[in-house]
Amino acid sequence: MTAKKKTTNFSKAFKELEEITEWFDSEENLDLDKGLKQFERGLELASELKKKLGEVENKVEEIKKKFEN
Amino acid sequence: MEPTVLSVAQYLQYINDTLKQIPSSEMVVEGEVSDFRVAQKKWVSFDLKDEEAGAVLKCFMTVWQLKVELEDGMRVQVKGFPKIYERFGTFKMNVQEVSPVGEGALRRAYELLKKKLETEGLFDIARKRALRRFPERIGLITSRDAAAYGDFLRILNNRWGGVSVQHAHVHVQGRQAVDEIVGAFGYFNSLEDSPLPKGGQRGVACKPDVLVLTRGGGGLEDLHAFNDEQVARAVFGSSIPVVVAVGHERDESLADYVADVRASTPSNAVERVVPSRNDVLYEIETMARHMQDQIDNTISEKGRLIEHATNLVSFVLERQKERFRVIYDQLMVTTGDWLPLIRSDLEGLGKILRQVDPKRVLARGYSLVTVGGAVVTKASELEVGQDINVQFATGSADAQVKRVDGKGQQRLV
Repeated sequence: MTAKKKTTNFSKAFKELEEITEWFDSEENLDLDKGLKQFERGLELASELKKKLGEVENKVEEIKKKFEN
Repeated sequence: MEPTVLSVAQYLQYINDTLKQIPSSEMVVEGEVSDFRVAQKKWVSFDLKDEEAGAVLKCFMTVWQLKVELEDGMRVQVKGFPKIYERFGTFKMNVQEVSPVGEGALRRAYELLKKKLETEGLFDIARKRALRRFPERIGLITSRDAAAYGDFLRILNNRWGGVSVQHAHVHVQGRQAVDEIVGAFGYFNSLEDSPLPKGGQRGVACKPDVLVLTRGGGGLEDLHAFNDEQVARAVFGSSIPVVVAVGHERDESLADYVADVRASTPSNAVERVVPSRNDVLYEIETMARHMQDQIDNTISEKGRLIEHATNLVSFVLERQKERFRVIYDQLMVTTGDWLPLIRSDLEGLGKILRQVDPKRVLARGYSLVTVGGAVVTKASELEVGQDINVQFATGSADAQVKRVDGKGQQRLV
């Protein structure tokens, strides 16, 4: 159950990190205040994601059912 | 003894009853298909022949019973029961099951079915769906005894984590395989769509993000379930994207063609379904580094800007100071030039002023006549008897006008 929750966040967090990185590239004149805030958030996401990459394992569950057409 | 008289129908019924004594369920008839026809898209008829002996068995069945594609010249085994059709008086095998025999016939049946499904659009590239980059749930359809099962899970653990695998154990060959595989597709597709809300019932499965149908390689006969029309249609009909991985690189199956993603082996299926930890780690680090670079650039750019502005201000100040000094110097130089001029001009003017001073005129013996303070310049302005004031260089005298231009009081002689 926890693994499931983690991956939901993983997908979301990864997307947010991608968006922040894109934001940095799309800004012509980077506003330093906003940039630092975004950067801080980005680093937070990156370390969260890295942590998750290290700790998660897969869960296998056999379906208790006889399959018939 | 009198012979028994029977009607035709009774007689045929008698024969049919006798034919039922034949243990049909325990035998198959093998021969070559000829004159294969389908009438009204329902009724299938063909002749089963022995090439050498020239023997012919007429066969009849419905399209729903026919699970493989047939064509003339194909070697098949037929299972069914013999029957005389009363209305036409013809003897036919009522066929329950047909299966191609030998690699050649299997290959041919495979090609025919492939062509049919392709024509129907089951292999269309346009309908293939993309897989989620980070799936949460994988539905794995394979036999727990197959090497593919172990391979898949081992590579999955090496490559990625945090995924929940729901395994549907099915036979991947043999008689039950098709029904079980189709059943597994039905099961996964019948699950609830979204993950349970918080506090929802635990252990209740929900629809996976992707289905993986896999097995090891093998010959056409081993792969029959993966080349089965029902399985192909189950893959086609799945609302969940499907990855099919059969055997080794060279093996192909009809399920492969229908699948959204075709993987060459069970391990390749893992690679298609989940990203690699290392790749994602590298990507995360690259993104973080990129952000860092952008921030560093911005900071040093702003720093340069401030430095530049400071330099500019002191430069402007210095220049202003310089300009002021130049102007001041110029002023000093030019004043030296024109001050003496002004001085001599003033002296000249003073001289002129002194010459026109009325007092100096009076000193030369002229007098100034005024009436009530105003200087009189014309005698005609005066009246006889008017008081006037006469101003001399020294002192003044008051007087009275006696005559003006010879007119007035008589002159005393």
